[in-house]
Amino acid sequence: MTPDTLFQYVPSPATLVKKEKLSDFVTLFTFQPDNGKALMHKPGQFIMVSVYGVGEAPFSVSSPPNATGSTFELAVRRIGNVTNAMHNMREGQKVGIRGPYGSSFPVQDFVGKDTLFVAGGLGYIPLRSLLHYQLRHRDEFGRIIVMIGCRNPAERIFVDQIKELEAREDVEVYETVDCGDDNWCGNVGLITTLLPKIYIEPDITHVAMVGPPVMYKFVIQECRNLGISRESIYVSLERHMKCGIGKCGHCQINGLNACVEGPVFKYHDIQTTPEAL
Amino acid sequence: MTSYTVYMDQLPGLLELWAREFQVHVPVEVENGIYDFVPWRKSEEIAWEYDVAYNPLKRFFLPPRETLLRFDPANCTAEVVCEAPRQLIFGMHPYDVKAANQLDTLMRKDVPDYNFITRKKNTVIFALEPAAVARNAFWASVDAHKVDAGYDLYWTRISSASFHVEVSTRRGKELLLAAGGLELSTAADREAARRAHQRIVKESLRDGLKYPWRETSDILNRAWDSTLWQHRARHCFSCGTCNLVCPTCYCFDMKEELDNTLTKGERYREWDGCMMDSFSRVAGDHNFRPHTRERFRHRYYRKGKYILDKTGQLGCVGCGRCVSGCTSGIADPKTVFNELWEADRHDS
Ligand SMILES: Cc1cc2nc3c(=O)[nH]c(=O)nc-3n(C[C@H](O)[C@H](O)[C@H](O)COP(=O)(O)OP(=O)(O)OC[C@H]3O[C@@H](n4cnc5c(N)ncnc54)[C@H](O)[C@@H]3O)c2cc1C
Ligand code: SF4
Ligand code: SF4
Ligand code: FES
Repeated sequence: MTPDTLFQYVPSPATLVKKEKLSDFVTLFTFQPDNGKALMHKPGQFIMVSVYGVGEAPFSVSSPPNATGSTFELAVRRIGNVTNAMHNMREGQKVGIRGPYGSSFPVQDFVGKDTLFVAGGLGYIPLRSLLHYQLRHRDEFGRIIVMIGCRNPAERIFVDQIKELEAREDVEVYETVDCGDDNWCGNVGLITTLLPKIYIEPDITHVAMVGPPVMYKFVIQECRNLGISRESIYVSLERHMKCGIGKCGHCQINGLNACVEGPVFKYHDIQTTPEAL
Repeated sequence: MTSYTVYMDQLPGLLELWAREFQVHVPVEVENGIYDFVPWRKSEEIAWEYDVAYNPLKRFFLPPRETLLRFDPANCTAEVVCEAPRQLIFGMHPYDVKAANQLDTLMRKDVPDYNFITRKKNTVIFALEPAAVARNAFWASVDAHKVDAGYDLYWTRISSASFHVEVSTRRGKELLLAAGGLELSTAADREAARRAHQRIVKESLRDGLKYPWRETSDILNRAWDSTLWQHRARHCFSCGTCNLVCPTCYCFDMKEELDNTLTKGERYREWDGCMMDSFSRVAGDHNFRPHTRERFRHRYYRKGKYILDKTGQLGCVGCGRCVSGCTSGIADPKTVFNELWEADRHDS
């Protein structure tokens, strides 16, 4: 057996170098692997993070593939044991990481195409990796259209970065919230209400979509109405994950393991898979 | 293939020899009519005629709880733990060997599971031809009455005083001949073994799947919306017993514990089951299989389709443990599959 297999469940240490609050519940963590090596992840992949004594949980890497330097970013919502422990960490403290795991958005397939990003709530976290990759190699890609939907303005994340995006001429940003508040003067309504408002060339548009389970069916339907093919729609599906390597069975979507064959799937490949969407 | 005749009175000596090197486990009657594998001791009476071991034998390769890592939370370091005792399981029925082989295939897939593989490698398996069929078993109808690998020796009781023993591996042969002086089997003994096999297979076939098991995947392809799922699962307690007793179920949860000084801890895996309500719940409290009918269906798809599609083998070896273990009396794969097959026949 190769050393890789021997250490299948052994995390390696990484140090928290920066912590930045994104919303009441979401914080952006910057980690530096202690071995100094870049994570070498692809957009859409996830890693398993260990807070020893508390547990381990999967998180999408939110930063683009690290061409330079070895830090990477995770945006984490405080929801339970591991995520609470992470939120209580101070800079300089360490976690264990293993991965990256799973499939990714096939970056090469997006080259020369327009990309429509559809991010529901925390779905922006994994999509940000692909988005920032494309921004870094802006010339290789066509239009970049970003749609972001949130339950309410308080839950918006990466607010400043999104403002910067909006200011750019080479990116189109559309935001909506399910319910507004007194200060919100943007669009109100589900994310599906944004789609009919934009002009899309279906033949050259790829869609990258991540959001809460309820979102997919409706958005895919809208995309299909616009004439986008099943082959050009990519979704990332979140499931309970315990091992990350296709063994524990928790992440099964029908016969597929979301941790190995996913989390990123081409819609065409799972459209008839029950329990997927 | 080489085979030997071993007499009952030669066994105590052999067992003692083996026990010096291995933790030997044998089937015994633990309670009236209930059999299980226990560590061998001289005084232990081996239940050669046992019908099924109460607990699944996967526990020898995938223990109910197994430590995978020991960690030091202060320095954030961890090291692999792999406890793989040298063990000898004497008396494993072919369907259970088959189940272990299937786990082996799945555990080697993609990223191989080091702990499982090491445990399996350190385990000597002496298969035993069943002499009785458990009330709820149907292994012959799913082709689990024969295995061609995954064991070191194959034992068949051919008389009250003798066994026919077929050698499968060099390790098996060495262990068998450890005390020297065994006779090669005679044609008559081989014939007796063949007949013993035939008799028991016939008995196992008295009840079982009514169609060739390979068709199960196709039948399930058309059964997603069957009313059977709701019908049966209505009575399900989501207790997960059917998962836990199944020799081919291998899903697990990961947990960890700190010692009382909080300076050291270990991460372990523990058997888990897809019939349990929490199994596929994710953050935000969304559950991908919230109803018993969905979990019930998932279990049968896993047995009858997903594993079959992946490995070419049915994910059920027909041991009948789940049937006996289910308080509600609904967890019988053969009844479920037969019913779906009947319905399918009427539809098409
Ligand atoms: C591929 C993938 C990528 C993810 N990316 C992110 C991300 O970038 N940012 C983020 O904030 N969250 C992400 N999540 C969700 C995150 O894994 C869960 O919020 C986290 O596991 C909760 O851990 P906990 O110990 O804090 O919660 P717990 O105290 O264990 O439980 C809180 C809730 O989380 C659910 N949960 C627990 N463990 C898991 C698990 N292993 N997988 C899924 N749900 C679980 C529980 O069912 C419960 O509803 C991702 C999940 C997956 C599968
Ligand atoms: S089918 Fe039976 S054994 Fe399985 S979870 Fe339901 S009640 Fe328990
Ligand atoms: S599903 Fe039931 S009968 Fe089939 S192998 Fe598992 S426990 Fe045995
Ligand atoms: S997370 Fe364990 S099988 Fe996918």
